[in-house]
Amino acid sequence: MWSILSVAAALVYAAAVSAVSTAGNRLLVVLDDVAEKDLYSQFLGDLTARGYDVSYETPRSEGLALFHLGERKYDHLLFLPSKVKGLGPNLTPSHLVNFVNADGNILVAQTSTVPSSTSIVGFLSELDISLPVERTGTVVDHFNYDVRSAAESHDVLVVEGPINIRPGLKPYFEIEGGVVAFPHAVGHVLGSGPLLSPVVRASATAYSYNPKEQAEVLDADDLFAAGQQLSLLSVFQARNSARVTVLGSAELLQNKWFEAVVGKPGGNSFRTDNQEFAKRVSGWAFQEIGVLRVNSIEHKLQESDELNPGIYRIKNDVSYNISLSEWSWDKWVPFTLPQDDVLQLEFSMLSPFHRLNLARRRTTGDAAVYGISFTLPDQHGIFNFKVNYKRPFLTNIEEKNTVSVRHFAHDEWPRSFVISGAWPWISGIGATVSGFVGFCAIWMYSKPVGKKN
Amino acid sequence: MAPKKNAAQPAPSAAATTQMDTTTAGSVPAAQHKPSSTLAKNTPANWDKVLQNIYQHYMNETPQRTKLIDVFLAFIAVVGALQFLYCILAGNYPFNAFLSGFGATVGQFVLTISLRIQTAAANKSDFPEVSPERAFADYVVCSLILHFFCVNFIN
Repeated sequence: MWSILSVAAALVYAAAVSAVSTAGNRLLVVLDDVAEKDLYSQFLGDLTARGYDVSYETPRSEGLALFHLGERKYDHLLFLPSKVKGLGPNLTPSHLVNFVNADGNILVAQTSTVPSSTSIVGFLSELDISLPVERTGTVVDHFNYDVRSAAESHDVLVVEGPINIRPGLKPYFEIEGGVVAFPHAVGHVLGSGPLLSPVVRASATAYSYNPKEQAEVLDADDLFAAGQQLSLLSVFQARNSARVTVLGSAELLQNKWFEAVVGKPGGNSFRTDNQEFAKRVSGWAFQEIGVLRVNSIEHKLQESDELNPGIYRIKNDVSYNISLSEWSWDKWVPFTLPQDDVLQLEFSMLSPFHRLNLARRRTTGDAAVYGISFTLPDQHGIFNFKVNYKRPFLTNIEEKNTVSVRHFAHDEWPRSFVISGAWPWISGIGATVSGFVGFCAIWMYSKPVGKKN
Repeated sequence: MAPKKNAAQPAPSAAATTQMDTTTAGSVPAAQHKPSSTLAKNTPANWDKVLQNIYQHYMNETPQRTKLIDVFLAFIAVVGALQFLYCILAGNYPFNAFLSGFGATVGQFVLTISLRIQTAAANKSDFPEVSPERAFADYVVCSLILHFFCVNFIN
């Protein structure tokens, strides 16, 4: 009895622990000196409290490996700044790319006080994210700095209420009325890849410079980037839905900035929301939010109860339903579309014959059902019901259900008397036939040819 | 010299014959023209007479069964023409319906013509082994097949 209870308790505990992220809970933190983790103790403590199994390694460690026997050893990687120039033979850019290809998530945090590792620079350039030359650069803003901590250097940026840059996205990173401090940030510039999306950009008055070489004067030709070209936080979601997050300021995650009080020049002082922001950034990066699941797909004839038949007829009235859930921190919730966004269904053979907006039909405890009823096109062949929903911040959905669409059988056409347009010709046949019958009757009644009188 | 003379000799005679030909050709049409012009003058009366003759001949010489066939043929032609006219005016929307309705009249017309040919007394020599009864039986069977096809096709 006791053993059964303990097994049950262990199961409940395992479920609670594994419930943190849909992608797993093994997190590797790579940092220069393990002692450095005290600076981030609050952030790392939050991660542990959310159920992560956190391991710490330095790049110099011999036993550091991302894969064991071809399987990922960790589900998530967190890179904190390290003074090592390269990260060693176990963390080369190609290892990191392989890690992402194997569905692993990576969060890279940088700081301007330490040059970025060549390995990180190489990995980010694979994703079309460029860092300042010489791997060093700090973002300053002479209008939006923190007057308390950086009255002279102006390198602690104060970002008010991060809001989504693109409309029609989920507000995962939005903090209404909040303030986030970005101390000693490294700005990066994004390429034009469709998988990249900026989350926080520097303000229009910010620019990036190298404090070691450009301490006195900054020539405009030597400027790496300025204004809104500079991203402070960017996210990349690969086609396999693995996530890479680039955070320009690692100090944002440190204890001293979690509850610091900052003030803009000539403005009031605010308490930073760095703790909440760090939670959201890490939560998104490690797939705790914005993960979609397709529970079921049902398509059927409108007047039939048979689910997902393999064959339909042209011009059939069919209904299609897809049930979606979204993972939100620790549970599945019904997926709600962002504002001004629609979920679309394509009914396609090579090219779509229909592209229809799905409407929300009903909501259950943990799933929302989107569906539509429509008439199949007047074309027979092999068709796909296809839902292709790929948005920044949300894992990709690409669902394809193949059905055959046949033409009318001989006895399925409408009868001629149903079509009023056919009545004149029906009566024509009637006249011909009745004329024939009458003719035959009179013929047989009348006198044979050739017999006179 | 001599061959030259010989070669030239037939020429005058040929010219003379052609001349004669032209004169005769000129005179003969002139002679024939007169009666034709008088005929043209009397055309309305003559056509009347011709038609009346034809009608009289038809009424007197045609057996009753052949007349019956002709009436039926006229009826089918009218029905077919009406359907075709309707198709032109109102469109051919259920096209199979038009095809079967119009095809029924056309087929029936052809079959009835065949019956008329086989039963006419004048053609007796062409069909020595086909009696009128046999021809009628063929006609009925073929017509029933035609009606079955048309009703099936109009669905």
